[in-house]
Amino acid sequence: MTGHSEKAGQFLKDEKRADWHDQTLWIVRQKRDKAAWSVSEWEGLREYASQIKDHVLSNLDDYLIQFEEKAVENGVNVHWASNAHEFNEIILHIVKANNAVKIVKSKSMLTEECGLNPFLEKNGLEVVDTDLGERIIQFRNEPPSHIVLPAIHLKKEEIGELFHEKLHTEKGASDPKYLTAAARVHLREKFLSADIAITGVNFAVADSGTVVVCTNEGNADMGVHAAPVQIHCMGIEKIIPRAEDLAVFTRLLARSATGQPITTYTSHYRKPKAGGQMHVVIVDNGRSKSLGREKYRNSLKCIRCGACMNTCPVYRSSGGHSYSYVIPGPVGSILAPGSDINKFNDLPFASSLCGSCTNVCPVKIDIHNLLYDWRQEIVERKLLPPVKMFFLKITGKVLSQSSFYNLSGKVARWALRNFPRKMVYHRINVWGWGRELPEVPKESFKQRYRKNSQKRRVRNEQR
Amino acid sequence: MSRDDILQTVKQNVAEFKPLPKYLKDTEQQSAEKLKEIFIKYLKQVGAQFIELKSNEDIAPFIAEHFPGAFDFGKNDIWEEYSEYCPKEKLNQLETVMLEGQLGVAENGAIWLNDSDFPNRLIPFIAQQVIIKLDSDKIVSNMIEAYRKINLENAGFGVFISGPSKTADIEQSLVYGAHGPKELKVILYSREKTNSKNVR
Repeated sequence: MTGHSEKAGQFLKDEKRADWHDQTLWIVRQKRDKAAWSVSEWEGLREYASQIKDHVLSNLDDYLIQFEEKAVENGVNVHWASNAHEFNEIILHIVKANNAVKIVKSKSMLTEECGLNPFLEKNGLEVVDTDLGERIIQFRNEPPSHIVLPAIHLKKEEIGELFHEKLHTEKGASDPKYLTAAARVHLREKFLSADIAITGVNFAVADSGTVVVCTNEGNADMGVHAAPVQIHCMGIEKIIPRAEDLAVFTRLLARSATGQPITTYTSHYRKPKAGGQMHVVIVDNGRSKSLGREKYRNSLKCIRCGACMNTCPVYRSSGGHSYSYVIPGPVGSILAPGSDINKFNDLPFASSLCGSCTNVCPVKIDIHNLLYDWRQEIVERKLLPPVKMFFLKITGKVLSQSSFYNLSGKVARWALRNFPRKMVYHRINVWGWGRELPEVPKESFKQRYRKNSQKRRVRNEQR
Repeated sequence: MSRDDILQTVKQNVAEFKPLPKYLKDTEQQSAEKLKEIFIKYLKQVGAQFIELKSNEDIAPFIAEHFPGAFDFGKNDIWEEYSEYCPKEKLNQLETVMLEGQLGVAENGAIWLNDSDFPNRLIPFIAQQVIIKLDSDKIVSNMIEAYRKINLENAGFGVFISGPSKTADIEQSLVYGAHGPKELKVILYSREKTNSKNVR
């Protein structure tokens, strides 16, 4: 597997596109700021939301049981899946039991995580992603590059080309209005003919057994209310205690995600439609284990708004696909090593640790601190590539002894001035790949400081 | 069994018990007039069109004049015709529908409706154009107050609708009418009856 830095390098080759990506996401971040500042109690809301999540994570087993009881009372079939394999089998079982072949799905990062689409397709079923961005990347056979804006890595001309091929839109047409209208016609037919609708879940309210799904397009509702069978898939951490807690999260979610005051549709599903079936699948897939890791427990608070991605300088200039994990960006980089530390040991390093992610997180996850903690754990477990390990070891030695430090500074200043360019910008110096080193100063900061303070002393004495 | 395994692991791994936090102090109460003003501001921001009529009695003539083909779900025969068992192909023919909202939220232009406001859950989503009428006294300041007034256990399905269906999935260009209604019109009316009307 190629690591984040190589893939980011690929992404950056198209400079114009990379700039566009960077600027577009920054605009989304600015919209978030504007929306957040319009709510005077914003910071209090974040704190409150974070504490609700703390409470839930300290009482999760009881809330899961309460949710199940209520849901069953409401006529909902509740299923439990320990892992991705079980989850996929449960869905397949429901599909088979209803002799269904056509499935529509609205956005769910959980089904991405579990690989539901390829699994169902392998079983001869048609699965159509109905969120416009998701449909686009499904046509392209790609994973989403952002959890809220799945096709943010694409230009409208590429989507025009794709729709020309798949939906027979006019060749060369790339007007977003025109393309969206074509997708509307195509997907409406899919909604009306679907046997089963699958959605993710934003929040599951324990005391009434309600699942809440937020969309702008209305695709979850078109699917759910048109198909005879509705299935909602949720991770165990989606639970919140009461309806009034929903108020807090719905105030935070869309403002953090896109700067909207709320999503167009905030749908509350509690009972099946007349003559219909409603299923809720509760999925663990490693979450209960993460719950036990005190340091990283906070990552389970995430409400998947994507704010940390939009603000992250590394995400904005490397693109979501460079992360290789189902959830890219800062929060993905703390979730990924929790799911497989060997596979994703480079992701906690794909950050400048600037802390911007932590500042915008609506549930106050201290993302940059957790990234730093993962780095330490990865080094302690000796999971870094040998070259990086070697350099870190030397750096550690140098930084821990001032004589070493002074000497190495001197040597470096001399070497950078006198060594041939080829040696300085050697392959092994990854920092030199994409940038020029700054001009080498004649003296170190320490020397300069000493000299200047001496001058000052002399001046003061002369006064 | 997976259920018991999951619950067992969760029980072992949950954090030390932390109580639910006390809610932040309530925001200042605002006058009905002010709430309406904020609500209208956000309706515009979320792409809804807004019409103000003096009273409930003005609505029927207004609809007859401007939206003669609209299906008014306040009428019994229409309610029965598009019932919960109505075929979706028939629902798909719906051009313009009018529903009554239960509650408006000033801070985001959202309107609450549930199973008691439409006979079939597809109606607010499948119609090309949706008109929601709302008593302007039923606007609350924010989501906290909204959820205080709503009882989720009153219905099998309920939804906050804020503006028409929309997407920005192609290069972040905002387009209305992704899947659901291309237009959402909100008619605000007052309960006291007068004769003049005011269309903006």
